[in-house]
Amino acid sequence: MDKSSSQRFDPLTRTWWLKHRFFKLYMVREATVLPLVFFILCLLAGFVSLLQGADSWQGWVAFMGSPIVLALNLLALAASLFHAATFFVLFPRVMPLRIAGHRLPDNMIVAGQWAGVLAVALLFFWLLGRA
Amino acid sequence: MSKQAMNKPAMNKPAMNKPDNPQGTTHKQAFDEPLWWGLFSAGGVCFAVFLPAVILFVGVLLPLGLLPAEALSYQRASAWLFSVPGVLFAGAVVCLPLFHAAHRLRHGLFDIRVGSDTVNKKVMYGAAALLSVLALGVVLAGMLS
Repeated sequence: MDKSSSQRFDPLTRTWWLKHRFFKLYMVREATVLPLVFFILCLLAGFVSLLQGADSWQGWVAFMGSPIVLALNLLALAASLFHAATFFVLFPRVMPLRIAGHRLPDNMIVAGQWAGVLAVALLFFWLLGRA
Repeated sequence: MSKQAMNKPAMNKPAMNKPDNPQGTTHKQAFDEPLWWGLFSAGGVCFAVFLPAVILFVGVLLPLGLLPAEALSYQRASAWLFSVPGVLFAGAVVCLPLFHAAHRLRHGLFDIRVGSDTVNKKVMYGAAALLSVLALGVVLAGMLS
């Protein structure tokens, strides 16, 4: 990219991305990190509460159950799945895999990554499904 | 695809950074960008693969009381977190996703032309680094106590 390339573009307005569905979807994907940050901050508070003791931990669990927090974390769950869906299709494009000279079909790579998500969820179920 | 092409066009271009670069003549080579893109990718993988399960179990099922009563009791949760796997958990679920989020927020702010990228960059990555240190610090403190 040469130094004068910026002069070929008009300055963007703040709302340029509202003009096309593709750009709106792009901005939605960018915004998936907002509920993610909320969940991470909640989780960090949980870490601190574990350091403080049992009462503090119970208080944190109750806090996580308050309606607004729960709703935002459900949004974070949806956002993480949306992010995963958009992220997994990039993998075969960025790094096509070849096995014995044959290109692995894109949908197999995507399915493999979803299998990873499922495996992690099953690990959690195995760890937490019984007391 | 070259490294330059991976970057957003005009991210470091003088014309787009007027407040920080009034002359608009120099074009600095950004040597740190591969680090931020690397942390962004690693965090993106964690966000996609680990976070759905963590949010489901810790953020939804636990507060709703849908887990067995003692599944995440104080004893169990602290024994798990304050351990070597706990350090890895903090890294994969807190630190890397934070850098992923910081990168997306920085570029998102650039996209809607809020603030200056030079400042946004420091604030975002700085916040991600501080919170990461806090997370790892809490886990290490728990391991030592």
